[in-house]
Amino acid sequence: MISLAQLRAWWAAITHSARVHGDVETELQFHIDAYTQDLMQRGIPEEEARRTARLEMGQVNTQNEKYRESIGLRFLDETSGDVRFGLRSIARQPVSSVVAVLSLALGIGTTTAMFSLIYAVLIHPFPYADSDRIMNPALVNEERPQQPTWFAMTKPQFETLRQAKSIESLLGFRDVNMELTGNDLPEDVNAIYLTENAGSFFGVHALLGREIELSDAQSGGQPIVVLNYKFWQRHYYGVSDVLGRTLMLDHVKYTIVGVMPRSFAFNDTLGVGDVYLPRSLLHDSLNPPVAWPYTPWIKLKAGVSLDAANAELGAFVRQFANETAEHFPKKFYLQLQPILLPFAQNTRHTLMLLLGGVLLLLVIGCANCSILLLARGQSRQQELAIRRAIGAGRWRIIRQLLVEALLISFSGALLGVAGSYWLARLPLQLSPSSFPAESVIRINLPLLAFSVGLAVACGIVFGLVPSLRLSRSDLAHTMQSSKHRITGPGGKRRLNVLIAAQIVLTLLLMATAGTAIGSFLRLTTIPLGYDPKNVMQVGIVLHFNDPKEWEHIKLRVDRAAFIDRVRQKIVSVPGVISAAVGTDATPPYSGVERPFDIADKVNSEEQAARVHLVSPEFFATLRIPLLRGRLWDQAENVRGDFLAVVNDSFARRYWLGQDPVGQEIRLPSLKGLNLLETASSESAGWRHVIGVVGDARDDGLDRPVVPAIYLPYTTYMAPYAQFEVRTQAEPLSLVHSIRAAVQEVSSDQQIGRPFDLQESIESDSQWSRQRLFSALFSFFSALALLLALVGLFSVVSFSVAQRTAEFGIRMALGAPRTHILWIAARVGIVSALTGTAVGMLVDLFLGRVLARWMDSGLAGFASLPHVALLLVICTFAACLLPARRAAAIHPANALRSE
Amino acid sequence: MKKPVDLPQGALEILILKAISLGPLHGYGILLRIQQISEGRLELLQGSFYSAIYRLESHGWIKGEWGESDNNRRAKFYQLTPAGKRQLKAETERWADMAGVVANILNVNPEQA
Repeated sequence: MISLAQLRAWWAAITHSARVHGDVETELQFHIDAYTQDLMQRGIPEEEARRTARLEMGQVNTQNEKYRESIGLRFLDETSGDVRFGLRSIARQPVSSVVAVLSLALGIGTTTAMFSLIYAVLIHPFPYADSDRIMNPALVNEERPQQPTWFAMTKPQFETLRQAKSIESLLGFRDVNMELTGNDLPEDVNAIYLTENAGSFFGVHALLGREIELSDAQSGGQPIVVLNYKFWQRHYYGVSDVLGRTLMLDHVKYTIVGVMPRSFAFNDTLGVGDVYLPRSLLHDSLNPPVAWPYTPWIKLKAGVSLDAANAELGAFVRQFANETAEHFPKKFYLQLQPILLPFAQNTRHTLMLLLGGVLLLLVIGCANCSILLLARGQSRQQELAIRRAIGAGRWRIIRQLLVEALLISFSGALLGVAGSYWLARLPLQLSPSSFPAESVIRINLPLLAFSVGLAVACGIVFGLVPSLRLSRSDLAHTMQSSKHRITGPGGKRRLNVLIAAQIVLTLLLMATAGTAIGSFLRLTTIPLGYDPKNVMQVGIVLHFNDPKEWEHIKLRVDRAAFIDRVRQKIVSVPGVISAAVGTDATPPYSGVERPFDIADKVNSEEQAARVHLVSPEFFATLRIPLLRGRLWDQAENVRGDFLAVVNDSFARRYWLGQDPVGQEIRLPSLKGLNLLETASSESAGWRHVIGVVGDARDDGLDRPVVPAIYLPYTTYMAPYAQFEVRTQAEPLSLVHSIRAAVQEVSSDQQIGRPFDLQESIESDSQWSRQRLFSALFSFFSALALLLALVGLFSVVSFSVAQRTAEFGIRMALGAPRTHILWIAARVGIVSALTGTAVGMLVDLFLGRVLARWMDSGLAGFASLPHVALLLVICTFAACLLPARRAAAIHPANALRSE
Repeated sequence: MKKPVDLPQGALEILILKAISLGPLHGYGILLRIQQISEGRLELLQGSFYSAIYRLESHGWIKGEWGESDNNRRAKFYQLTPAGKRQLKAETERWADMAGVVANILNVNPEQA
């Protein structure tokens, strides 16, 4: 055991070595003098006395070594000597050392970064306490099981559900569009009412002030508001004295009591709230009679299984369905879904593939480091043999090499760790919409430890190979073989295998990158069927809360006229080319799916099409071409009934070989069902098809267009409308003027947050996932290629340097330069070609699996030959460059260099 | 004059501790005192002598302080620390035990066996 006193002695010997050494020498000198004195007193002459004393006590200046050894510092002294020597020998071959360090750093950095990302997104994305026990109660409609829906509950139902045994805590919330008033122009904000137990349910502490508390429910709800982080940044520029100020929402004052931290972005699925209000403020009204329902989030008790909870809560929900049938589908069952589920479904494949990619890179990095250490070790056989011959012990040599290997491995690990912090944020920047807003990327320590461990182990194993081989081989043989170095066959084979393996993995990464780029290119060149450039969508929500204003837009004719007035005002804004009504009609996800009937045709199956409610200008605004027939005019637009336009897919699917114009269809479900909707008298009646338009993407960018029906918007109006606006330049720059123009129609009419159609394509999750894939895989494969080439280059260089004499002799005997070039480069070229061949086989097999994962068909196979060719060219270059040096050797010089 | 004896492993340390326990001494003084008490029968290897002192000091059993020698020269005087006193006591007991056991065995007569 090491005592405190011992540590103190070590500390003193290391930090104050000069003083300690002085003391040791003074003490010994005193001893020698005293001894000499004594001897002289016994009658021995001074000269001889001094000699005897010194002989017995030893040299004063070597006493320090004895001191350090006695107190147990010998190991440290020798190791620090090893470190110094190691640094010198690394500095002697700076390029290969730097490359070895960088290889490890890249492998470790990317692996750690990617895993940290996966951890943050898949395993622990939410800041909420016990987030793994928070469930979305989804209803699975048995008629459409693939699309689970949420359901809302009334207040009494909520109170009933709270009694369920498996529930620890129950949160209710409701998203409401509100208007920020009190500024010059009203603005839309997304408010979320939360039940007052929100603070304890989430367990997330407010950044400033407090969360919503139980006491906020008192006296019908306290007028307080808690801000979302981004809203606070946008509106208050992140100032901290925002607490206590008032916020005007729908002409009512609220006191700001808190700001949530950045990680709190409730709710990802239905829209992140700008402000959070206590639920008690959401008063039910009698006219119109509304009992505001709200959506639940359930935190299960610890230890309750999903099945048990589904069974217990299912019974509750079934009872609710009897009470409020309009909130529920006809046939359904309850399925509690962890709140993580939507993200796990969207991003799991992406991240797993990326993880696979970086693990390959880690292996390539380790292999590269090993190759360099092996090659370096071969060139040092003789040095090690000499050291042994003059008495270095085997353990001493192993320790020396170990120290060198550790120096390289640890520098690599250190750089890798530093790099991973930066790399972990890269995917989030490239593809922000693929990840939950709430996930905060932290470096994952266990994985960091794993990759550092792997890299260091690689370094140690391959760093030690030379010394192990040395102890096996015959010392005299190694010494004698001196300059005509014949490297052991084992070492060479190991090198070749490593190089070939590295090439295989590199090809794999490159082929995957090729596939990813191919499918991204395919996505970017897909014909959209509409022109998104310089078009934006602007939405309005009609004021159904305000009885006075509602009076003017309640009736169908009034509402249609109001919407058209807004449209005309938008067109009058300078810079606007055209504007059209297009409710739920903005591509690439457009239309509401409704069943339809075709006259004189029996439906064999349930047939449905995407119904778009638009004004006649819609087609020109989005540049969707008319293929046959005609569009409707203004008079027909006002009437709304008796006509329809279909898209090309519709016509070809149902009337192939027939003339679609003149056919009849009807939409039985197109009726105004509640107080807020209005429909024309014959909205569900038969309609003549008057025209066919081109296909525009309506089911996402990468999926085929589904049949679509276009109807005049006046036939069915919800209490909101959307406009497509084509402008001459950057559309969003006109938002302010458009907002002002809309105000002229109705002073209180706010507009929703407009968005640019082109930008919405680019932030589409499919689009950004593909871009993420291609960018990251290109990055990985470029790194891998670089590493592999550097590895090859250094192996050939080392071998050329060692065989200089051999080449000299060959040339002296008349070998042509091309022959020398070939035998010098052969080492690398053979392994590289083998690697490429094996890699192609592996990829043909794996490619199928990968392609399915990346939803990209067989696009990757086309790129494999190109990638392989590129790889072969690069490897030839990497081998021939150093081999040229061998061919340029002058035979006389080479022989003299002996 | 009796025959000199060789020291078994670890004995030198106990002797140094014992020598110092009688009063602070410098290195040469310790050597002299051991030789004096043993009546010159211990032939101490001077080289290993200081190694033992350094070891004892690094364990915290003895503590060296610089002072003046009889002839006014700077010398390092060692004294026992409390830990050193405990160590000396423990080692003395151990030594006595071992010596007793060995002596007992050696003193056994053939009849007793």
